[in-house]
Amino acid sequence: MELKTTGLTKKFGSKIAVNHLNITLSNGVYGLLGANGAGKTTLIRLLCSLQAPTSGKIVLNGKDIIALDETYRHLLGYLPQHFRCYPDFTAFDFLLYVSALKGLSEKNAKKRASALLEAVGLSAESRHKIKTFSGGMKQRLGVAQAMLNNPHILILDEPTAGLDPKERIRFRNLISAFAQNRIVILSTHIVSDVECIAEEIMMMKSGAIVRRGNPQEIPSEIDGQVWECTVPTAHAKRYAAAFHTSNLRNTDRGETVLRILSDHPPMENAVCVPPNLEDLYLFYFKGDPQSEKAHSI
Amino acid sequence: MKKLIQFELRKLCAARLTQAAFLTLLLLSALLGFSTYQNMYAFDGNSREGTGRAAVEIDQSIAENYGGLLTDEKVRRMMEAFQPTQDLHGMHAAYLYQNALQSALFCNFSDSNGNWNGLSVSDVFGTEEIQIGYTYGWLKTSQNMVKLLILSSFAAAMITAPIFSGEYEGVDQIILTSRYGKTKCSTAKVIAGSFTALFLTTVVSAVNLIYAFVLYGSSGLGCSILFAPADFSEAYIPFNLTCGTLLQYQILLAFTGTLGITGITFALSAVCKNPMLSLAASAAVYFFPVMLPVPETSPLFKFLTLLPIYHAQFVSLMSIGQCSGSVLYAQLAVPAALLLMGAGIFISRRVFAKHQVS
Ligand SMILES: Nc1ncnc2c1ncn2[C@@H]1O[C@H](COP(=O)(O)OP(=O)(O)OP(=O)(O)O)[C@@H](O)[C@H]1O
Ligand SMILES: [Mg+2]
Repeated sequence: MELKTTGLTKKFGSKIAVNHLNITLSNGVYGLLGANGAGKTTLIRLLCSLQAPTSGKIVLNGKDIIALDETYRHLLGYLPQHFRCYPDFTAFDFLLYVSALKGLSEKNAKKRASALLEAVGLSAESRHKIKTFSGGMKQRLGVAQAMLNNPHILILDEPTAGLDPKERIRFRNLISAFAQNRIVILSTHIVSDVECIAEEIMMMKSGAIVRRGNPQEIPSEIDGQVWECTVPTAHAKRYAAAFHTSNLRNTDRGETVLRILSDHPPMENAVCVPPNLEDLYLFYFKGDPQSEKAHSI
Repeated sequence: MKKLIQFELRKLCAARLTQAAFLTLLLLSALLGFSTYQNMYAFDGNSREGTGRAAVEIDQSIAENYGGLLTDEKVRRMMEAFQPTQDLHGMHAAYLYQNALQSALFCNFSDSNGNWNGLSVSDVFGTEEIQIGYTYGWLKTSQNMVKLLILSSFAAAMITAPIFSGEYEGVDQIILTSRYGKTKCSTAKVIAGSFTALFLTTVVSAVNLIYAFVLYGSSGLGCSILFAPADFSEAYIPFNLTCGTLLQYQILLAFTGTLGITGITFALSAVCKNPMLSLAASAAVYFFPVMLPVPETSPLFKFLTLLPIYHAQFVSLMSIGQCSGSVLYAQLAVPAALLLMGAGIFISRRVFAKHQVS
């Protein structure tokens, strides 16, 4: 299975949300990383044919997804960034409703719904009304509904938002087990969520994919540019503001270890360390106004 | 498909608005029916006088004396029996109300003082055979039903207004990425919406008819609407229909009206981006024809009467006459409703399927 975009562009007025994107996705788990406003959700909506591209097209195995229509949606599972459902439905009934929309037989729908509720840890609450659910529970229900039809293309927009650490791990395991011979796309800001399950990371910035590659391999691109420096805790804030700092860690000796991105040693005692994905993320987004803002707070 | 329709019905029925609409209409039907019954008045021109149940009994016993085909001889007998006993103080006797039959009689056969105006039955009604009897209860029921059916068509619009627009609050993203979201889901919505709307009309009609049957019996149903007491605009309908036929037309038109406004609402619901907006839009579209300053003599009025609110109001539409041969103009309401529904289905399905989430 191969999903391919050619010259895919989406404009909102003069704002270019997705900019002439040419990507090819074959079976595997893809982590879509990018700052707020990078265009992840817009790209995903285009891939789900929820928005029409301004120009360019998306083809699945050579056929335009607009022309494939129902055939394409039959293969698709989607979790929106802001998942909404009917508060007066129970979790189980909501899944049956989505199953009906997806064309599952009644028997199969019940089987899949029960299995997925179990898989996302909601089987005890399956007969509870959704309005009694917490944010994380709703999000898990959202993941379950996306997988009802055993989709060959599973697209999840920030699936781990609002999940506690235990549920995040459960989610990762669920996706890893599910992903065999399928295209799975996860968008997120949380690097660690995709670091261990994605086979390929796509860094998105201003509507374009600026970097693609294996999460274990691509950080090597900035080999020699990540440093750890130990400074007195009292001055840590000042140093952190002066450099691109990816992490601060206090030691019990009144000192702070700063992890700094820089193409030369930022200070005398700096020790060069191997880069990780988070460093790379920061490297790509350091010029981004959104992350700059987050950085200076 | 069956499952999808069931789910759509469930969503509609779970809505507070739907439950409130059903309850309100049932309550209003009961109240209106009861207060009409309680407020009835009759005086036999002689000794018996009463309100409520007594009035119905008096009216019915008078009708028994003169019931059947209206003849010149009956007109003469009734004119004698209902001769005004008190001074009218200058009021035209046609406006005098003692009882239902007297009022109908004076409208047609009395001069200003309550004496016979010299007209024969054939002078007034031509060759039509006029069956007379106790029609007052059924005519009042029909009048009440106009109000209730206008409301129930409107309620049908309110209930169906969120059917597409409600999804735009977020679930559209799930629906429109699912296999049948752009096809069978819309069909299920249209079927469930139409069914609920028509069911509401059926319930309101049935409750009112059963209630009237219990209170007034069936005897007046075979009588002509042309010999109606003064306060019934139904008498302006230029056909010698029986009360029963009148009610049949009224109910048919209530259904066409409901179907028409539901069709319009489907389209508006898909076009408007939130339920409040679609609700306001369909309310405006429903009521605007009656607010237009178009006189009944204008050709435009003929067209306006084919819009849903005039179906529910029905008397204007029925008064227009025949369009050709034996086809009543009012029968055009059926194709008009089907057209509105067809257009509504077409537009709503298309717009919903092409909807771009934001
Ligand atoms: N419907 C819309 N109308 C106008 N502009 C839009 C619309 N949707 C998105 N945008 C703009 O397109 C750009 C990309 O937005 P998008 O939602 O795709 O970003 P994102 O990467 O998903 O961000 P986040 O991480 O915050 O979810 C943003 O600048 C946004 O303002
Ligand atoms: Mg987003």
